[in-house]
Amino acid sequence: MVPFGTLAFMPGKLVHTNEVTVLLGDNWFAKCSAKQAQKIVDHRMKYVKSELDNLSKTMKNFEARIGFAKDLETISASKGDYVDIREEVGNNDTSVTKGRQRIAHKPNSKPKMDAIFDLKEEDEENYTDNRDGGIKKGIMSEEELWARLDELEKLEELQDEQDRLSDNADVNGDDTSSSSSEEEKEGDAAPPINGLSLKPSWASVPHSKAPPNVNRKEEEDEEEGGDCLPTIFFSHTVEPKKVRINTGKNTTLKFSERKEQKEHSKRKKKNGHNNGHSHHELHKITTPADIYRLFVDVKNGEPIPRKSILKSRSRENSVCSDTSESSAADFDERRMIGRSFSHDEATHSDTSDGITEEDSPTSMPLHPTSRFEAFSGTVIEKDPMPSVVPHLTIAPPALPTILERKQEEVMPEVAPPQQAPKRVSKFKAARLQQK
Amino acid sequence: MADAIQKKLKVELEKYTQMQKDVSKSMSARQKLETQLTENNIVKEELDLLDSSNIVYKLIGPVLVKQELDEAKATVAKRLEYINGEIQRYETLLKDMEKKSEQHREVLSSLQQEFQKAQGLAIGKV
Repeated sequence: MVPFGTLAFMPGKLVHTNEVTVLLGDNWFAKCSAKQAQKIVDHRMKYVKSELDNLSKTMKNFEARIGFAKDLETISASKGDYVDIREEVGNNDTSVTKGRQRIAHKPNSKPKMDAIFDLKEEDEENYTDNRDGGIKKGIMSEEELWARLDELEKLEELQDEQDRLSDNADVNGDDTSSSSSEEEKEGDAAPPINGLSLKPSWASVPHSKAPPNVNRKEEEDEEEGGDCLPTIFFSHTVEPKKVRINTGKNTTLKFSERKEQKEHSKRKKKNGHNNGHSHHELHKITTPADIYRLFVDVKNGEPIPRKSILKSRSRENSVCSDTSESSAADFDERRMIGRSFSHDEATHSDTSDGITEEDSPTSMPLHPTSRFEAFSGTVIEKDPMPSVVPHLTIAPPALPTILERKQEEVMPEVAPPQQAPKRVSKFKAARLQQK
Repeated sequence: MADAIQKKLKVELEKYTQMQKDVSKSMSARQKLETQLTENNIVKEELDLLDSSNIVYKLIGPVLVKQELDEAKATVAKRLEYINGEIQRYETLLKDMEKKSEQHREVLSSLQQEFQKAQGLAIGKV
């Protein structure tokens, strides 16, 4: 039944079923057999597929273009994934106190060891901090340490110069003045010490690492150049004088001392390696006054110029007066590394002497041996500090300075801690005397 | 001053919109022609495939009119040519309209700037 309109059907027959009317497109029809119709259909299908493929290709091309454009945009505008990281390292004098500044360790130096020594010179607090820092520093690669050292040295040099100027004034003064200056230095150095402490510790570390006698000089020199230990120097660390210099032997020498030590170390080199090691690095002594500067007792963290360089204190890492004062007790603790007898530098004041004296006793066994060597020849007047002297166990006050120098080489590092505890007493004694 | 500029702006804006419409119209017409072109191409191919054994009809309204194969082929060919011609015509037309619309755009932007200045002055004065 064939539909006849919408409401009726009509009986009909299919005739010529094989004939099919095919739409060719655009209102054109063709009557053809079924097979032909099939062909037409297939043909059409192919055509359509090909068209589809073409369109998809163009789409892909467009998408690729988009991607390129995006990449270009990111690269040109935001520079891709590269981010410029800038960290402004401010001089964290205060912050430094807590943590040691990273000090590049000289390749041959023994950072860990130095760290321990350095602390002695500085206040005990710093000591602990330094130690931690020093140890940490040990982790640093040698190369980094060297670089660090260089930086620190430069910084220290600058500071040394400043200190020298100030130190000279102090040294020339009376014992009281010197002691007071030391105290002042210490006070001033408090903030910078933090930075410096790191330095010395750092420097000390390298010292410790390297064989005490042999490489010490090199290291020390480098270190001293940078003011004690090469430290990542931050502008904030302004330590005019009280730079704790770590003369190779783990003694944090005060900044001023360092210069002296450096000089002293240089001299020692000439004379002999022994004492020069620690000094060289730490102190660059260009003038006799520098020597005094080197010998600065660190009283409670403040470099106090020693009145007498000859005192045993000076023996310690020479430059660092701190070593002597700090305290025999500390010394013992710190003795691990051994004190660097870089006390060649004249002790700024009696107090410093006392410190050195203290250092000397605590110094490593090498110390005594080197001590008794004929000193390099630097005779430094020393103001008698009876109160201070008692500390000294070993070297006689007159010799300490020189012996210390020699001992510097021997002693890888002066135990700063030793000085710390002693120093206090010494300074106090000095003050009392002055009074 | 500001008012005058505003009026000018409006006039220009209208012209510009008109231009845009014309452009879009011609665009759509061209697209139609494009499709017809492809369609006729297919038909031509199909007709070529066909042989004289079968009959070709042409749909005119609700009527299927019988056509001969050759005639159908000729017709389709002519239609194709016609379509191509139309497309070209529309192409040229579109280009011209584009240019005109660009000019209008520039005029419009300049007028807008003037208007803003005038408005600024007016505000300043006020």
